[in-house]
Amino acid sequence: MTGRMTGNESKQNVGRSPFFYLGLMFAAYGVVAALAMTDSVSQTALYILIVLPFGLVFMVVRAVNRRADANMAGCTSKGLAQRNYVKRVAVFTTLYLIAFAVLTFLSTNYELSQTIRFSLALLPGFAVLGMFWAIGRLIVEEQDEFMRMLIIRQSLVATSISLSAATMWGFLESADAVPHLDAYWWAVIWFLGLGIGAISNRIQYGTWGAV
Amino acid sequence: MKNRLKVLRAERSWSQQDLADRLGVSRQSVNAIETGKYDPSLPLAFTIAETFAMSIEQIFERG
Repeated sequence: MTGRMTGNESKQNVGRSPFFYLGLMFAAYGVVAALAMTDSVSQTALYILIVLPFGLVFMVVRAVNRRADANMAGCTSKGLAQRNYVKRVAVFTTLYLIAFAVLTFLSTNYELSQTIRFSLALLPGFAVLGMFWAIGRLIVEEQDEFMRMLIIRQSLVATSISLSAATMWGFLESADAVPHLDAYWWAVIWFLGLGIGAISNRIQYGTWGAV
Repeated sequence: MKNRLKVLRAERSWSQQDLADRLGVSRQSVNAIETGKYDPSLPLAFTIAETFAMSIEQIFERG
């Protein structure tokens, strides 16, 4: 393949590691957490500060894409599906954080009518639905059948874990054996299940997968 | 399913990435097929056979 970069060229062009920007983001959230715990800023400023560091996700996406371009040498469409997926997840995660911050801010500081509370409460849910949609599109758009199989496998593991946990917790909750858990946590468990699915892929097929 | 992918690739001095680029798949896919962890679909098996200018039966066998 004539267009492949050498190792040195790749190093020159890929720029900073995604982990650099992730580190920056976590450091920023550490500062925000410190400000929140010491009551150094107003509630409104805090909500803005919670959302702002998430802009670094776009830097992470750009860094990941640069590395993908350098490694793939633009030869297959595999990279395109995964790049689209990363962009979509970044957009919906940002929308989720904004919606969650707006919902928390407004419901804490204002007396809202039932209709407005209902509408606002739907917003973070729609953002999470967007993340599910992004995974669905990745499965549809992924041209590499092996990678597609790994994504589906991960999704099945995640679905099995979250549905099993939800069912067991529901019965335990009915028996007053465990405290109430808001239903949106099952989506969080599902995303954690994707991680367990990736570990399962690694053990059985020697690679983590694409999600 | 057994296959002769590694030998055929070595005969041509192709790396896994070289073959992956020719097939339009990831290097991980080539590795999984080569090590027998993943059996390719019929369309991909045909593409592999065409890449090596051989028939599918000359590359893959039941195992």
